[in-house]
Amino acid sequence: MDRSSDNLPAAGDTALSLRDVYKTYVVGTDEVHALRGVSLDIRRNEYVAIMGPSGSGKSTLMNVIGCLDVPTSGTYSLEGQMVANLDEYELADIRNQQIGFVFQTFNLIPRANIFHNVELPLIYAGVPRSQRRERVERAIERVGLANRVKHKPNELSGGQRQRVAIARALVGEPSIILADEPTGNLDSKTGDEIMTLLDELHRAGQTIILVTHEDYIAEHAHRVIRLKDGVIESDAPTAGRAV
Amino acid sequence: MAAKKRMNKGWKIDLEESLRIAMSALRANKARGVLTTLGIVIGIVAVILTMTAANGLQSTFRQSFSAVGSDVIYVSRFPWVMRDDFFVYRNRPRLDMRSAIDLERRLRGRAIVNPTLGGRQDLKFRSEIMEGISIVGTTEKQTIVASAQPEFGRFITEFDVTYKKNVCVIGTEVRDALFGTANPLNQEIKVGRVDFRVIGVMEKQGGSFMGGPNFDRQVFVPISTYVKVFGGERNRDVNLAVKAPSQEALSDVEFTVVGEMRKIRQLRPSEPDNFSINKLDTLVGTFNNVMGVVLLVGLLITSVSLFVGGVGVMNVMFVSVTERTREIGIRKAIGAKPHSIMFQFLFEAAAIGLVGGLAGIAIASVLTAVINALVMPASVSVGILVTAVVVSIAVGVVAGFVPAWKGARLNPIDALRYE
Repeated sequence: MDRSSDNLPAAGDTALSLRDVYKTYVVGTDEVHALRGVSLDIRRNEYVAIMGPSGSGKSTLMNVIGCLDVPTSGTYSLEGQMVANLDEYELADIRNQQIGFVFQTFNLIPRANIFHNVELPLIYAGVPRSQRRERVERAIERVGLANRVKHKPNELSGGQRQRVAIARALVGEPSIILADEPTGNLDSKTGDEIMTLLDELHRAGQTIILVTHEDYIAEHAHRVIRLKDGVIESDAPTAGRAV
Repeated sequence: MAAKKRMNKGWKIDLEESLRIAMSALRANKARGVLTTLGIVIGIVAVILTMTAANGLQSTFRQSFSAVGSDVIYVSRFPWVMRDDFFVYRNRPRLDMRSAIDLERRLRGRAIVNPTLGGRQDLKFRSEIMEGISIVGTTEKQTIVASAQPEFGRFITEFDVTYKKNVCVIGTEVRDALFGTANPLNQEIKVGRVDFRVIGVMEKQGGSFMGGPNFDRQVFVPISTYVKVFGGERNRDVNLAVKAPSQEALSDVEFTVVGEMRKIRQLRPSEPDNFSINKLDTLVGTFNNVMGVVLLVGLLITSVSLFVGGVGVMNVMFVSVTERTREIGIRKAIGAKPHSIMFQFLFEAAAIGLVGGLAGIAIASVLTAVINALVMPASVSVGILVTAVVVSIAVGVVAGFVPAWKGARLNPIDALRYE
């Protein structure tokens, strides 16, 4: 497992690093090779878009990067920490502290109000109540929803819900924000607003990984990684609106 | 092990959140929760009523045997509760007046001895007849040895015993049957064929307990008169009540009585006692054994209904976990650990159980009040309530365990994708 670890770049400015990552699923009697030797490094404060047609393995890659799944083989280090071989509890801690998820379908808890939704990662991190309040309010303010704190998700528009999701991703001050088709369920105007918000976060120093199949969304990033059939087809910088 | 260590960090905050989710889940599904608790409600009502009934029987028992007295031992030919073959006891020599007087002399200054003789006779007053009433020949020490006192009139005196007076003190049920509301004092009644003058009425002592002796349905006469009228102790056993100066001294007195009785009977050390020592403890012990069985059977039956209630909770918890698969996925993605999810559902199950338990307590309290008014003295004790609450929560937790485990084990990727 560790054979390639000495090839990894120094942890200094690297947010995450994958080497020869394979992911194989067994479906019935068939083996599905979702990832076939993916290697990539993402530096701190990079703004990366991962693109690819469906079935290209981009969801699997996102799950591996998000520590929702572990590679079948290969190494993955996040902020200098090797992620392969971690158990369920350790993975939960990493997701909680290093990663902020933004999903296509927002994935807010419907019964909980906005404040509580944003508060959740801090609760699972064991942050005492006295410190939570301020951090939650700051995160909600950053996405511009300070006047909606007591509302339930179903009382908000799609764009507002995605802002709440972004606030929830931000509140734990993660190393990376992992946005999976963040504008997929939004109209283009609202989508633009969300992208503008992500651009702002990037300018403030946040590392952002964007999974999308829309070119105009990918254009916000500095760098586009294209996947096809489980391997990286291309990895190139973009003109990047956000630069 | 490692998992446990990691759990400790912020576990209180975790529990708080789990409790909050559980409560909001219950609020969101009120109707479902209420229906689910029905099984537990019935189970808890059954548990409480069983225990209340047991307590009620126990206090009725105590009341009806209070006349026996807890600082008194009884020396008789037969034990109250026979453990051996009846013939072992039948072959014992009779207890006669001579040995009674002998024992009294030997115990003088250490304990009070009251001999009694008894048999059954018919009573008659004018046209009212009572058949087979227990007639007890006793002495003036009866009211010292036993707690019951005359309510009206007086008790038998030393004078009555010495001069073999034809006087009697009757129980309240005897008075009610023979005299109704009329004044019985100084009336002549027939005991068997002989006239006795009623000199007193005993206070009420609580009636019979499950076919046991009824101290309200007996008649006291002087023991000397009894021997004179109904024949001596030649064919009847004398019972000796020995009252210790205090309850603590009872076992010393018992030891002394056994020793003195063996001397009176001239028993060799190798021979077993040919008399029996009876006391309230013997009765209480036997009663408790019987009650234990009754309670066990009752609780077995009630546990069946609790089991059914538990299955209902388990069913609803499976539904709840399935419904919230996606929520579990979200929570896991943002860092919830398996035990956080587990607690969330366990709390919900426990809360359903508790709601059922509280409803059960409310219903059972009403039923107990009805029973108390109509059937027998009954009351719900704190112990029973605590038991009911604990049991109802436990049923919820046990029933919720497998569903909660299922939720806690969900893979976050699959759970997030769940529609």
